[in-house]
Amino acid sequence: MPPPTTNNLGYTPPDGGWGWVVVLAAFISIGFSYAFPKSLTVYFKEIQEYFGVSYSEIAWVSSVMLASMYAAGPISSVLVNRYGSRPVVMVGGLILSAGMILASLGTSIIHLYLCVGVIGGFGLAFNLQPALTIIGTYFQAKRPLANGLAMTGSPVVLFTLAPLNQFLFDSFGWRGSFLILGAIVLNCCVAGSLMRPVNKMVVFKPKTEPLEVNGAEEASGAEALRSEDSPKSQSCVHRFIDFSLFKHRGFLIYLVGNVVMFFGFFAPIVFLAPYAKHQGIDEYSAAFLLSIFALSDMFIRPATGFIGNTRWIRPKIQYFFAFAVSYNGVCHLLCPLFSGYAGLVVYAIIFGIAFGMVCALLFETLMDLVGAKRFSSAVGLVTIIECAPVLLGPPISGDQYCLHNVAALHQ
Amino acid sequence: MSAPCMHPSCLLLLLLVVCRHAHTNLVSVTENTTVTTEPPVETLSPITPPVAPLTPLQTGQKSVVLTGENHTEKVEVVNPVTLNLECVWTGDNKRLPNITGYWTKDGKTIESSYSNTQLQNDRYYLRKEFSIMSEEDLGTYSCIFGPKAKVDFILAAPYLGEMRDKPIVSYVGDSVVMICKMDEKKSKPINWNWYKHNGTSKEKIEVDSPGHRYKITKDEKKTKLVVHNLTESDSGVYFCGAVYGIGTSMGHMQLRVITYFEPLKPFLGILVEVLVLVAVILLYEKTGSKKENQSGPEGNPDQTSNLSHGENAVADGHSGTARQRKV
Repeated sequence: MPPPTTNNLGYTPPDGGWGWVVVLAAFISIGFSYAFPKSLTVYFKEIQEYFGVSYSEIAWVSSVMLASMYAAGPISSVLVNRYGSRPVVMVGGLILSAGMILASLGTSIIHLYLCVGVIGGFGLAFNLQPALTIIGTYFQAKRPLANGLAMTGSPVVLFTLAPLNQFLFDSFGWRGSFLILGAIVLNCCVAGSLMRPVNKMVVFKPKTEPLEVNGAEEASGAEALRSEDSPKSQSCVHRFIDFSLFKHRGFLIYLVGNVVMFFGFFAPIVFLAPYAKHQGIDEYSAAFLLSIFALSDMFIRPATGFIGNTRWIRPKIQYFFAFAVSYNGVCHLLCPLFSGYAGLVVYAIIFGIAFGMVCALLFETLMDLVGAKRFSSAVGLVTIIECAPVLLGPPISGDQYCLHNVAALHQ
Repeated sequence: MSAPCMHPSCLLLLLLVVCRHAHTNLVSVTENTTVTTEPPVETLSPITPPVAPLTPLQTGQKSVVLTGENHTEKVEVVNPVTLNLECVWTGDNKRLPNITGYWTKDGKTIESSYSNTQLQNDRYYLRKEFSIMSEEDLGTYSCIFGPKAKVDFILAAPYLGEMRDKPIVSYVGDSVVMICKMDEKKSKPINWNWYKHNGTSKEKIEVDSPGHRYKITKDEKKTKLVVHNLTESDSGVYFCGAVYGIGTSMGHMQLRVITYFEPLKPFLGILVEVLVLVAVILLYEKTGSKKENQSGPEGNPDQTSNLSHGENAVADGHSGTARQRKV
């Protein structure tokens, strides 16, 4: 059995230097991936009138884009395993840009589903996975902080894109805006060009033996080394994507837990503004609640990364993640107790903190469980399986709302 | 298409207007007969007043009790009506037995309206009957008690729903859809009309104009104007009018038609920026790696010193990164 290594990467991650530039690049990529589908809602009203379709039909554009982004995860993972992060992100930027430019020439709603939804979603998937993976290759000791900082991209880009989209719409209408957005997303290519592959030629000479044994990472690392010893016993597919992850107990628990969580995770965001209006608050104040939520989300993500990096939390980061998830649940259970606008503002802040904590730790825990080497395959498998609850969650919650309201009326 | 004024909806309409102001006393509205009005007859001028109905008119009454010095009441008028407006004033500290009151329309005093009012039941009353037949009769009617107290009645046809105040942007050769909506709660118009502003006045848009470029669809509370094959001369202000018995309620929106070159300029600008950045970053990396290759053997001490720095950082982190957990 090979001697235990402190990490199974076979080299020393720099934990700094160019790594921080890579964090910036990942910030941009992750930001576009998560914020872009949400920010397109500004155009929906005019597109709806232009094509003469109902609101649910136009809202499908966002859903198709999100579904496509999650479903293309495994393809993205395979490509990253093969070619590395940089080419995949640059190609992703080009695909996304092409999708938006084609969409600006669209003549029917189906055209938009294909260009913005499917093609755009693929482009975003090719941005998300490599960005997450490359952080694992550059950081080991400061990885939670790097992850937290990179995930902050999502609320920051959303905050920037929302007023920008409004301005573009007022100046150029929806067609011109899609064309210009096609150029703006080319900045993902710039982010991709910053993702220099890490220098693996540096050989690690252990000065001190590690005091405690690395449990899971070492075991999975040993497994990976063993599997590398006999390449002929593997199938072609296994070289591209690592299905042996399904035998990893930690991975399975993470997967099941995430699937269950995502059914309800995004619903409160979707319903926050309508809930506030239902309580009698006017439309602008209700929209402002979402901004408060985004702001508190924005600040808590790097803070969570920093806390996760401290030497008290880092060994127990899985428990920290579990705490964040339960805190989320408790926050929503207490929601009915918050009444009036001031109460809802407090709820938005607390919810923002909870949401940010979970998002910042989401991929860090996965990296921690499976190790940086298999992370690329793991994140691909996780996203395609999470596709279903992410899409079905809000409509199911909407049905629950309808059912309960109907039941309440009939009492 | 004539719209008979339904008994419950007119009642509801006037009651709704009054109920909005909580500090006024509620009104009693009496309806006598239902009314049918003829649709507007098309004459040379773009906006035509409706033909006076031959059947007996509705009568309505509005009463407002004024406790302060000023009050404004909005009255929605859908069909021609004989309106009895009544102002009741609780008076000031002086409690004069007689006060001069008069009525104004849109700021101009109605000469015949001067009257002396006496204190009855501790209040002053001013009543006048107005015949609201056509659009000219709409406006702001005010009753004024002496120099002090005033109640404004704003008579108008139902206002249109929210209109977009910024211009709608579209492209040459493309088509555009413009929508006007009436609120769900207000009564539905008899008809909808669309007009375009051509510099001096409003010009009505006909569906069968040469070129078949316009298409107008009219639902009960919504109307849509679709213009195909836009040209730059189609830019300008468009008006939609909701036609009621009393007149037309107008809404307006602005259309701006631009060519594809306009968004192309920022597009190309950003494209150039991206290309420049990518080129700079990749070149910097290439020159950086060339320097490393050139200083190959001598670079090792640098590398090992970097390495030891890296090792220290990693070693410091390791006591924190190691976990005790079995798969």
